[in-house]
Amino acid sequence: MTEQRTARPDNDLGGNGIDAQDRCESPSPSTSATNSKTAPAPDQARIKEGPAPQDTPPKRPVSSSASSPSTRKADCYLGIDIGSISTKGVIIDAGRNIIARTYLWTEGNPADAARRVVTDLGSQVDRDAVHVRAVGTTGSARRLVGAMCGATVVKNEITAHAVGTTFLHPDVRTILEIGGQDSKIICVENGIAVDYAMNTLCAAGTGAFLSSQAHRLGVEVEEFGEIALTSKKPANIAARCTVFAESDLVHKIQVGYAREDIIAGLCRAVATNYLNNVGKGKQIVAPVVFQGGVSKNAGVVQAFRDELGMDVLVDADGHLMGAFGVALLAVEAASREGAGQATFNFDALRSFEFATREVECQKCANHCEIICVYRDGTIIDSWGNRCEKGAVRTEA
Amino acid sequence: MPQTTDRMPEPASNRTPSPATAHTAEPEPISASGRAAEHPRERVDPLRTVGDARSTDEVRGARVVLGDGGRGPFKLLPSRPRRERSAKRDRHARTRVAFFRYSYYDIAFKFFVEHVLDADFVALPKPTRRTIELGSRHSSDMVCAPFKHILGDYIEALELGADVLVQFAGPCRLGYYGELQESILRDMGYEFEMLNFATVTGKPLTEYISICKKKVNPNVSVPHGARNMLAVFKMIECLDEANDFYLANAGFEVEPGSFERAREAYFADMREATCERDIAEAQRRGLDALRALPVRKPAQPVRVGIVGEYFTAADPTSNLDLERKLLAMGVELHRSLTMTNRNLRHNERNLRASIADYVTYNMGPTSSLTIASALRYAQEGFDGVVHVKSSGCTPEVDCVPVLQRIGRDTGMPLLYLSYDSQTSDTGLDTRLEAFYDMLAMKKEKTR
Repeated sequence: MTEQRTARPDNDLGGNGIDAQDRCESPSPSTSATNSKTAPAPDQARIKEGPAPQDTPPKRPVSSSASSPSTRKADCYLGIDIGSISTKGVIIDAGRNIIARTYLWTEGNPADAARRVVTDLGSQVDRDAVHVRAVGTTGSARRLVGAMCGATVVKNEITAHAVGTTFLHPDVRTILEIGGQDSKIICVENGIAVDYAMNTLCAAGTGAFLSSQAHRLGVEVEEFGEIALTSKKPANIAARCTVFAESDLVHKIQVGYAREDIIAGLCRAVATNYLNNVGKGKQIVAPVVFQGGVSKNAGVVQAFRDELGMDVLVDADGHLMGAFGVALLAVEAASREGAGQATFNFDALRSFEFATREVECQKCANHCEIICVYRDGTIIDSWGNRCEKGAVRTEA
Repeated sequence: MPQTTDRMPEPASNRTPSPATAHTAEPEPISASGRAAEHPRERVDPLRTVGDARSTDEVRGARVVLGDGGRGPFKLLPSRPRRERSAKRDRHARTRVAFFRYSYYDIAFKFFVEHVLDADFVALPKPTRRTIELGSRHSSDMVCAPFKHILGDYIEALELGADVLVQFAGPCRLGYYGELQESILRDMGYEFEMLNFATVTGKPLTEYISICKKKVNPNVSVPHGARNMLAVFKMIECLDEANDFYLANAGFEVEPGSFERAREAYFADMREATCERDIAEAQRRGLDALRALPVRKPAQPVRVGIVGEYFTAADPTSNLDLERKLLAMGVELHRSLTMTNRNLRHNERNLRASIADYVTYNMGPTSSLTIASALRYAQEGFDGVVHVKSSGCTPEVDCVPVLQRIGRDTGMPLLYLSYDSQTSDTGLDTRLEAFYDMLAMKKEKTR
């Protein structure tokens, strides 16, 4: 099985003589005993419209032009945080200062979002002057994007946030984080995370909830904060659960509450929901840092200040903290492993074809769905198998 | 016993029949007076005993004597000639009994079925996604995940031709699950018997025996079964002992997969056991094999305890291989929730006494064990505790505030995990990885 699966791309290549792009786009022809029902291959469209400008032959030797004078170049490190809603990326230098940052929407396509992030970051720095020594990825699509960019570090977002925040605020005691689907609280003592909690079953009171309600109210979610701050008397909105909050909200709209009061009430509902669910049982000690996408919403920040009765710090780069943290971890990993891998190229993501294919393992009755990631038709990583029988040999 | 006492008065009242009967039936009522004639001072009025104010002096030291001492139990009736039983015995084909899947305890269940009930055991293959899909489809959405797992197991067992399904008694909702599952399965059109021990909970042992006879095998041998029941208990203790060793050391194996292989071989060995001696030998071989494996264990490994709900904490299918994930990170694991600790050596009073600072009353089936073990882990300097429950498990939800307080008091982090019938473990990976990173970093910094 292992051989079969890894060999298939080659067979296709030989048998059908189609080029790499087509092969990735069309779910593999008939031969597959495995039913690869979805071959998302998310990357093709964009690739075709803008065929990699710099190095047209998608060959491995990355940055052949840039590799030789690498001694003069400044070392830097790349961190990417691919969340459910937004994708963040930073480049930091050896002094751990952020020299490039970007923030854009994932739009349900993490591979493409990573590509755009890398391109955007690349345009912010002088590419001839920097040399990316290591890459770290975090966020819910960390594994996929990590496989794509050959990341040195693939870390969960909780650790990344803790590392990033404790670096910038060594005295922090509590980190509140509300993202698109997740919300977490991290308790810190003496610069080390000692306890954390994450929302469990539902995404109530996260960014996704706020943006859907913004849509209902006909406001951009970015304006939410300012509108909320203008309210004198926030409406009381049930905070327990998104469903209750939503019906409460609809009711209040119909009854005729002012819009800013409702928006302020929503922000307060997010804060109380967070404290009642995620923060339940945790001691929230100052200094408190609030981050994640929702921290950009001044209304929620204000609600937290009111609820906690203490100041809540919001960093200007608070939304990038996951990416920053994983970049820091990449620095550590690179220094541990020594300077060996000088392979990252900003154009690599654009010049290679990346495709994912979902394969249903037939080795036993469990039928694990195995995700295989291909780069230029070569399998570079796979995951999803529950046992060794489903292990796919990678060639990279 | 009740039958013998019932029958007694009958021959005594009409004492005409054959002398043999009269003789054997005689003793009980008369013996007391007969003895009294020999030893007048010991005459006892059964209505007046030591506490009785009127006759305290006379009766001091008196005993109520049933039977005539010395000669052992007497017979009330002559033994009947044995009936030819072979004809009746042949009327019954051996029943095929299935349990639900529960971690590695199927080995003990198999022994129980084959050597206590004297029936055939339907061995279920490893659970798959289909199992939980089947279970979820036919159960209420709000019910806890163990119900769905068990129902899925039953459906697969019935598909494999089981005649009898076994369900335990449980001190939580589990106690009602057997009946509910039975009626769901009957509605689905299956025909089977349900050996539901919840129906006889708290009743005398005879009820247990009679339900086994009725549902599984009318010829269950009581002495044989009782003896093998002890072997089952022994086996469960053995399995848990070996698994505890595995959990504590497999995270540090030198050769990847060596512990898992040794444990599987041990389980296979144990599965073949047919008597107490086999069990002891399989245990010795298995433990020797596990202990012989090379490990590379740091002086101060990260130690994590697992506590929680009875089914989910112990069953790898239910908790999405929580243990293996943690072991892969290089953790020394301890799990207090085993059948040994919960069923065989459970002592509610002692457990509750050990957590008297936190808990006054019994909060549910595994609550005291959960809280007591978490506290013990904290006192023993563990780096963290993972609390595992199925979503909506009320007793364990009640434990959470207590555990949070323990966490605050002792400074030990706890991770709370809730499971439903999901099959994707991405979220679990994230949480476990973060938990491990946190513990490892903390350990490194404070060293």
